[in-house]
Formats: sequence, structure tokens, C-alpha cells
Amino acid sequence: MSTFGFSEEQRDCLQEIINVAMGLASDKLARFLNTFVHLQVPSIALVGASHIPAEFENRYQDTEAALVSQGFFGNEGVRGEAIVLYQMENAHKISALLGYEVGDVSEIEMLTDISSILTTTFLNGLADQIENSLSYSAPRVLSSVKGDLSSLLRSTSFHWEHALKVDISYQLVDHSFNCDMILLIPGEAVTNIQRILDRILEDY
Amino acid sequence: MALPVLICDDSLLARKQVRKSLPESFDAEFQTAGNGLEALAILRAQEIGLVFLDLTMPELDGIGVLEAIKAESIDCFVIVISADIQPEMKKRVMELGALAFIHKPVNEDKLHSILKQYGLI
Repeated sequence: MSTFGFSEEQRDCLQEIINVAMGLASDKLARFLNTFVHLQVPSIALVGASHIPAEFENRYQDTEAALVSQGFFGNEGVRGEAIVLYQMENAHKISALLGYEVGDVSEIEMLTDISSILTTTFLNGLADQIENSLSYSAPRVLSSVKGDLSSLLRSTSFHWEHALKVDISYQLVDHSFNCDMILLIPGEAVTNIQRILDRILEDY
Repeated sequence: MALPVLICDDSLLARKQVRKSLPESFDAEFQTAGNGLEALAILRAQEIGLVFLDLTMPELDGIGVLEAIKAESIDCFVIVISADIQPEMKKRVMELGALAFIHKPVNEDKLHSILKQYGLI
């Protein structure tokens, strides 16, 4: 994050806001899946959006993957696109947990539901803390066969300049389930975020 | 006499939020810890009356701290302030002897009513 000139205090502030938002999202997911979710501190990083395909290429190269993207819009120029990435192998485990058949058409519906729960709960939690409110566009699901996820990511992320990468790893009680969440944001948003963080920091 | 209080959270912002949410009438002497191991080192060496404890932390998490407090019979009140708000987590925390479980970001009224309930303010 230092490349974008975030101070240590700004980074700490953003991390804590994200932790609280993650906690809300995990609670919702746990209720939806009727299980307990082991929460880990998500690692965050701000990178150029053009680096996103390369960042995820290795992890998703030899696997079927799916990507769910959803746009968000708020006040004070807060806007962007949230992407959740899944390895289909992981998604199948969740389908089984929820009683779906593997390869069922409704598995895509399930992924859309889970992504919506994750992104909207997470982003609403984030918005509450910075006294903003967000609206969302309808989620879009793109699935990929082995190896072509990076081209999907490239076409999704090329409109944007920056990306806030939030590595989420969910460990369910009896199942391991990992997904990645990426928030794509326009260039001026970084300055907006820093201004908001400074305003929060001033209060303490 | 001022109450020795320990605020344990890996986030500086969170530690400040707790401090700021406390009433002015709360007569305390504050110390802070950035993870569970630091907290235990302080708890083993000094008498601490009240701990504000985060759960998700590096090195040793809040559950680990609560387990050690219980195992070593360390005498202190613990109020957990957590971003992990799952009911199952609250249950575990209360079973390990915490006084209360508060969601982040900390709600001032809730915190005050708990402190009042236990005669700490």
C-alpha cells in the first residue's frame, strides 16, 4: 500500500474498517450456510488494476473458476466494482453443503447468492462506518474453463485504474472454502478514501 | 483509586475507539497490548482489574487469552469487543468467563450500561 502513499495510520484505519465489515459478512454467510466460520484477518493491498490478472493467474490457472461482479455507487464519489473469485472445486463443496447437485444449473444461482451476501454485507458495513450509503447493480456471473480466468479478469478490470485486493479465506467448520474478493475503484477514489480515513482519524 | 485497565487490540484505531467510548467519570490507568501474547505478559506480571479484549489478532487470539486467564486463574474482568459477531463465538467467549461480548465498532451506550451493571462506573 505504501506505493500509493498511505501512511501507517491510514492503513491501520482501513484495515480495522475492513475487519469490522468482514465480521458482518462472515456472520451473514455463517447464518446462510448454517455453520460456523473461522474468521481470519484479511490481508489488504492496493494495486494497479492492470496487475490484477497476473496476481490471480497462478492460483486459478489449473482449475475451473467463476467470477461474480457487482457494481456499487455511493456519495462523495465512492464507486467501483466488487469481484468475488471462486475455484469451482470450492464452490462444489458449498453446493453439496446446501444440498445442490454438482453441475446443477442452480449452482450458479447459489454462487450469485453467496457473492451478494458477501459483497453487499461487506460493502454496507464499510459504508456505515464511513457514513456513506451504497446502491448496487445486478450481479453478473462469468464462469471460466481452465486457464482463461485471466482474460475474464482483464476484460472486467481494464476500465478501472486501481484495485483494493482483499484476500478472504473462509474456513468453515467441516469444509475449507476459499474465495478472493477484489474491489476495483477509479483513480480519484484513492484520494477520496484517504480523505475519509483522515476524517475518521481526526476524531480519535 | 484508579482501576488498572488493559486494552488489547492489534489495531491502533480500535484501541483509541475503546478509550474514547469510555465515560469521563471512569477513573482508570490504561495500558495497551497489540496482541494476545503481549496481553498475557502484562496480565501475568501485574494486577489488572479490567481487560478490553479483541478476538481476531496475530500471535495469540482473544480466545487463547481467555483460555490462559482461565487456566492460570488470573483474577480480572474481561469485556470482549469483537468484529467476529457470530452467536457461536459469543457463546464460546461467555463460556470462557468473559463478562460481556460487544460488537465492533463499539457502541458507547452498550459499553456504559455494562460498566454500570458491574459497578465499574
